Amino acid sequence: MGFWRHYVFSTDHKMIGLQYLFTGLVFLLFGFSLMMLMRWQLAYPGKALPLIGSWFGESRMPGGVMLPEFYNQLGAMHGTIMVFLAVVPIAFGAFGNFVVPLQIGAPDMAFPKLNAASYWTYFVGGLIMFASFFVPGGAANSGWTSYAPLADIATMGQTVWLFGMVWLITSSLLGSVNLITTVVQCRAPGMTWMRLPFFVWTQLVTGFLLLLAFPPLESAAVMQLMDRLAGTSFFLPSGLVISGQMLKATAGGPDLLVGGGSPLLWQHLFWFLAHPEVYVLVLPAMGVVTEIIANNTRRPIMGYRALVFSAFAVGFMSFLVWAHHMYLTGMGTTMSTFFQTTTVIISIPSMVIMAMLVLSLWGGSIRFNTPMLFALAFLPMFGLGGLTGLPLAFGITDTYLHDTYYVIGHFHYVVAPGTIFAIFAGVYYWFPKASGRMMDETLGKVHFWGTLVCMNVIFFPMFIQGMAGISRRWYDGGATYDLAKNYLHLNAWMSWGAWVMALVQVAFIVNFFWSMKRGRKVSDNPWQATTLEWATPSPPPHGNFPAMPTVYRGAYEYSAPDCAEDFLPQHQPPASATMGATT
Amino acid sequence: MSIKAVHLLFITLATLLALGFGVWCVQFQPAGNRALYVGLGAVSFAAAAGLVAYGVWFIRKLKREGML
Amino acid sequence: MTVEIPYGVQERPDTGLWNAKLGMWLFLASEVMLFGGLFASYATLRTYAPDWPKGSDFQNIPLGTFNTAVLITSSITMVMGWASLVMGQFGKFRLYMGLTLLLGVLFLGIKATEYRGKFEHYGVTLADGTVVTGHVESQDASRVVLLPDAKGGAAHEPMTLARSQIKRMIVFGPWYNTYLALYFTLTGLHALHLLAGVLVNLYLWGPGSRMWQREPERFTHRVECAGLFWHFVDLVWIFLFPILYLL
Ligand code: HEM
Ligand SMILES: [Cu+2]
Repeated sequence: MGFWRHYVFSTDHKMIGLQYLFTGLVFLLFGFSLMMLMRWQLAYPGKALPLIGSWFGESRMPGGVMLPEFYNQLGAMHGTIMVFLAVVPIAFGAFGNFVVPLQIGAPDMAFPKLNAASYWTYFVGGLIMFASFFVPGGAANSGWTSYAPLADIATMGQTVWLFGMVWLITSSLLGSVNLITTVVQCRAPGMTWMRLPFFVWTQLVTGFLLLLAFPPLESAAVMQLMDRLAGTSFFLPSGLVISGQMLKATAGGPDLLVGGGSPLLWQHLFWFLAHPEVYVLVLPAMGVVTEIIANNTRRPIMGYRALVFSAFAVGFMSFLVWAHHMYLTGMGTTMSTFFQTTTVIISIPSMVIMAMLVLSLWGGSIRFNTPMLFALAFLPMFGLGGLTGLPLAFGITDTYLHDTYYVIGHFHYVVAPGTIFAIFAGVYYWFPKASGRMMDETLGKVHFWGTLVCMNVIFFPMFIQGMAGISRRWYDGGATYDLAKNYLHLNAWMSWGAWVMALVQVAFIVNFFWSMKRGRKVSDNPWQATTLEWATPSPPPHGNFPAMPTVYRGAYEYSAPDCAEDFLPQHQPPASATMGATT
Repeated sequence: MSIKAVHLLFITLATLLALGFGVWCVQFQPAGNRALYVGLGAVSFAAAAGLVAYGVWFIRKLKREGML
Repeated sequence: MTVEIPYGVQERPDTGLWNAKLGMWLFLASEVMLFGGLFASYATLRTYAPDWPKGSDFQNIPLGTFNTAVLITSSITMVMGWASLVMGQFGKFRLYMGLTLLLGVLFLGIKATEYRGKFEHYGVTLADGTVVTGHVESQDASRVVLLPDAKGGAAHEPMTLARSQIKRMIVFGPWYNTYLALYFTLTGLHALHLLAGVLVNLYLWGPGSRMWQREPERFTHRVECAGLFWHFVDLVWIFLFPILYLL
């Protein structure tokens, strides 16, 4: 009983955060594995996959050679799993749950039972997505974007995908309601808004994005389900001909399909979610990086207020840029003009955040530990991702770049060496809080440098291929296309980059489990940090703080003048601070 | 915002709906059955008046009970 | 061991809120976006449709109007139930909450008959291409007895059609046209919300009301949250009724 209560059906935000972390990391590895399979087909199209090729069965890889249908399943599920089951659950579910209540001085989340419910709905959604590989026809195969009409007429896996999404959307709804309420209501005495660590702000904005952007996707999912199960034509135009046959209604009554639906409507509803979603992916990452940079430069973060307002500006604007994914759909130039403008506007606050973080390094006495290395690498990697977004923002350049590997390169630079680096940074940084032990620095550095090199080997060539015009949707990586022939050798490079990167992750996995049992024991505040999560034992007890903390100052009082130590914790009463200064 | 304010907002919108429906009944009703729709329209206008009266009563009651 | 969460019942002085109320409002904000997505889809699909049927060709307006009145009344009883608790009158709360429940169930019942009516209605394409819509009185392997819809005071007598005369016969399901697709999706989702509201209210009326003895303030808060949700669901109907029945 004790075990189940403590580890499984817990309502303690720290345990739920760890559940999110473990599940999310497992899905991260799983999603990565799907991609490694695809990379074989891209590097060596049509060749049998050695050793493990026979594991996948005749319906997926006959004789070890990947079928196009299976390739499409892998692609769609890689995107879905990475975004909805790995990165968001870790960045928002795990870090938000574990760190936010500690940083604001709360005993738990505002609604602990709802919190557990949100984890378990996520878990069920994940199981459904995983199970979809085993239904007839395999998993969803219309891309993570599920564009209609393709997805409307796809195999059964798409229906399962839609049901899975409904669970995941419910989970994120419960999670975001909980997090926002917690931040608004459960701040400790003295924790005024402008004393919140920037990480908490990013989580708050992320909460609003999840709360408001996901529901329209849910309505779209309901309509797509109706199309697939009840014979409606929300996203099916009239007169659709497939393989020479007029399309019939998929289900329900008659053999007649009314048509008259709009495939573009799906895209609008999908991107109305999915653009804010990309900021859901990146805002928490910026928050993590800010905490770690402030801590390891030992100086206050630059322009705290500018950071806060920029985070809000980004959050707000992210609802107004969605159709920059749709310049080529024929939605019209007026629409394009509007969305080009908003897209350029949103780069400004993102740029402000980046500039503040870079400027914060100025004059700091930097400690190059593993979390800091990951946080530092985030800056140029995310920067590259953001910069390559600009040519995509303009219809005229996007007309050429759209749907090429350039787009894949762009968003992977923001999410993979960007957000995922921030996730690793966060894991190394808060590991001692969760376990009372440090992760090993040597293994950490091996992990960091290996991953950094591999990430760039994987993703940089994509810009080159994309600018050469290689489409992101080709199943053979371009082997049968003349225009690609000078760039084909890059495919093997990228694939080997991915496989070597998998090996490098072993360093992380070993480090993680080994340190849990054997890592160096540390004090409550091993990084000499100022924020409240370090003002309680490691791991923190149930209820978090032995006594309710009171907050006296902002979150980043590093190297304050008239102070003996180079950091001044938020909860330290002013009197003792002066004493410290005089002794 | 408490349920009191929400309720008043709701009653306001319901009143507008009743008025709108009344107009619809008189002006845009489907062909045939004219008498039925004129009757419905009259009832709807009466309902609008009733909702306004109820709203006023509700505010007064809140004041009386010290809930405002 | 349970942890005491601050401001579960009391208002936090600087925000003026207790936790569940804020949570409820956030939830409702996301619900607005959910229905907003569907309303926006309605507007889009209708704007770009070459023609659009009149709601009254498919709906029983007097019945729909009555149902609207039922729902508006239920919001009034709901708020009365909450006010009774604030005034400490538990008996009156039970009465008003009971009424709210009955009205909610009545609404769902009428909705169900409306749905059933749709599934007895057909659009029949005759061999010569004309389309007759109407209520199917009876049908067997050789013939169909159809009571055509009265349009513009036309003849209103059952007609018997031999199967050979009929090219195609489609029931008024969601697949019939985009209008009905939207009708079923929107009202179906609304009905699910109402059902959820009924279940919550049933709990608060029945076993959940024992909390009144122990923690009257917390119980009043719960009823207020349920009332906010109930009002939201009713408000959605106030928008659904005109767009689906009248316009
Ligand atoms: C800061 C400036 C940014 C600009 C101007 C920008 C612009 C764009 C544009 C115009 C596209 C559509 C390209 C096409 O399909 O032709 C795109 C795709 C994408 N962007 Fe960005 N972006 C920026 C930042 C980000 C960030 C921060 C993220 C995520 C963390 C992100 C994630 C994505 C994703 C996931 C896609 C592709 C989705 C798909 O088609 O599957 N972007 N970006
Ligand atoms: Cu975007």
